[in-house]
Amino acid sequence: MDFGLLSHAFGTVMLNPLNFFFVFIGITAGIIVGALPGLTATMGCALLIPFTFGLAPVQGLLMLMGIFCGGIYGGSISGILIRTPGTPSAAATLLDGYPLSQKGMGGKAIGMSTVASFCGGITGAIIMTFLSPQIAKIGLRFGPPEFFALAIFGLGMIITISGRSLLKGIISALFGLLITTIGFDPLSGVPRFTFGSQDLLGGVTFIPALIGLFGYAQVFRNIEKILILPVVKSKVENILPRLKEIRASLKTIIKSALMGTFIGSIPGTGCDIAAFVAYGEAKRSSKHPERFGTGILEGVAAPEAGNNGATGGAMIPMLTLGVPGDAVTAVLLGALTIHGLQPGPLLFRDHLDVIYPIFAGMIMAQFILLAVGLSGARIFARMINVDRKILTPIIFFLCVVGSYAMRFSFFDVGLSLIIGVIAYFMEYYGYSASPILLALILGPMAEQNLRRSLIISHGDPLIFLTRPICAAFLIIAIFVMITSYYRIKKAMDREAQAIAEKEEID
Amino acid sequence: MKRADIGVGIGLIILATWVFWYSSAYREKEIYVYGPNFFPQILSILMGVCGLILIVRAVKGKVLPKTDRIDIQGFFRMVIAIGICIGYLYLMQVIGFAMGTSVFLFVLMTFLGQQGLIKRVMSSIAASLIVWAIFRYFLVIPLPTGLFDFTF
Repeated sequence: MDFGLLSHAFGTVMLNPLNFFFVFIGITAGIIVGALPGLTATMGCALLIPFTFGLAPVQGLLMLMGIFCGGIYGGSISGILIRTPGTPSAAATLLDGYPLSQKGMGGKAIGMSTVASFCGGITGAIIMTFLSPQIAKIGLRFGPPEFFALAIFGLGMIITISGRSLLKGIISALFGLLITTIGFDPLSGVPRFTFGSQDLLGGVTFIPALIGLFGYAQVFRNIEKILILPVVKSKVENILPRLKEIRASLKTIIKSALMGTFIGSIPGTGCDIAAFVAYGEAKRSSKHPERFGTGILEGVAAPEAGNNGATGGAMIPMLTLGVPGDAVTAVLLGALTIHGLQPGPLLFRDHLDVIYPIFAGMIMAQFILLAVGLSGARIFARMINVDRKILTPIIFFLCVVGSYAMRFSFFDVGLSLIIGVIAYFMEYYGYSASPILLALILGPMAEQNLRRSLIISHGDPLIFLTRPICAAFLIIAIFVMITSYYRIKKAMDREAQAIAEKEEID
Repeated sequence: MKRADIGVGIGLIILATWVFWYSSAYREKEIYVYGPNFFPQILSILMGVCGLILIVRAVKGKVLPKTDRIDIQGFFRMVIAIGICIGYLYLMQVIGFAMGTSVFLFVLMTFLGQQGLIKRVMSSIAASLIVWAIFRYFLVIPLPTGLFDFTF
């Protein structure tokens, strides 16, 4: 960690009002997207990446990080007010947030959520700033076998994002990996699966694919269900929690923030798991666990500090090793690539001019989030009431613009629409779209490094087991996959048992 | 879900066989053993195996219960909305981005049953003009101008 560079980066970021402006826009847009049920932070980042094309890389990335942090926080607003989490990571927040809202303390719950999000976010951002360069130093020693093992490690995350069926998650990922083989082969230059189309020579472009998977698919679902979904109105009164209330939850907030950052930094976990683990731990270690779930501020503070801590944590493997921690960081990774920066250890050697402003910007974003959250919560709460029949066409239109703007190509819009239709059906038949996204990011890394490694070893696959770092990654990947599999299986069994018991009672 | 799983499994096996066969043509073009055909062929084998497992599990009755069903009326609404979008993509190239978008948004809002003419007109014009202005003046990204010279 170079403190000179960090302070210089702070100076650069702080002294340029445009940087403030872009982070502010990102945070605001993120909160709005996060607060609107059905629009996730992943979708928000995907839709808003095209708006960063004309910006300098640092400003574009600051805006996207703002969307990420804002989106994770914004999910809690609708969770608290209308019992519908805007993002999956806010699912734990509504356990106590909504009962608080029913008691007429919705505003205070949002206020506590804002303060906890700030504390979690700042903890995650500081740990990210100090830890990332150390991890990147180790990463600089990596060769092709290590990068292949890393890609496998990242792909192991499929287990946690597969939804209800691991087999279907793997099928989705294989489909995504197959998509990455379209276009010029990077090692030999041979065009693959292009069928003579000039538009496919460069491969399936990331942004249109992303917008298809997460933008169009959601729009199609919203249009299909537009007359079925109930309309819930929200209102909010007093926002600021009292100092005494914050002090009472401070221990929980700090513990949750640290746990969230640690959990977020493990590829395959993400903000939603961090929130639930933080909530569970807060309840377990509380003097009054029976009050959790009935509407207490600690029950809002813990998951919010946890999931916002995870934002900084999830950035660590993404920036240092090029392995995304969750779906949103996978989108951010794609955004970095679009701005000409390849995430990974080399980023810390060749682009210090970008890395340190990112650190400074992430810390600054938390203060802006606190200010925007506390001052604008009433407006954001009102945004939830915007009619879906107006909002859905506008999001549809943003999808069209987003998929067009990457290459000014109507071919990309068509491709994105087709991917959207496929993703719409996939969801209904139990195939999650997230493994495809992960495969699109990690596929080229896996293929190129697998082939390079085998060429180096003259075809001997033992190269992956004889190099210590590589073998360690593979062993950890297998361990994480097995433990994740059993954890999810256990959770699903519990869920099935609960459903069966409920049916029995009925 | 049983029939769907069997259908997808068969589809996967067909796709995997085709990918294996099609990518074997890349072999001759590459001097290395691990050429452009290597990765797609590994994927096709894995895909075929997954397809087979999916079919076996479905036949054994190990399928996930359906949690959500497609609403038929809603589905047709979605298909028509996609049709409107395709029309918009052509219209945009004739009358320009901002005007085409305003028309698209107005038509889609009306189709989805939004009440209030003024609300529909104002929100469709405002949304299209804001995004048009951001792209045109702020990001300087070219958008379709249509037949008119004034890039609207």
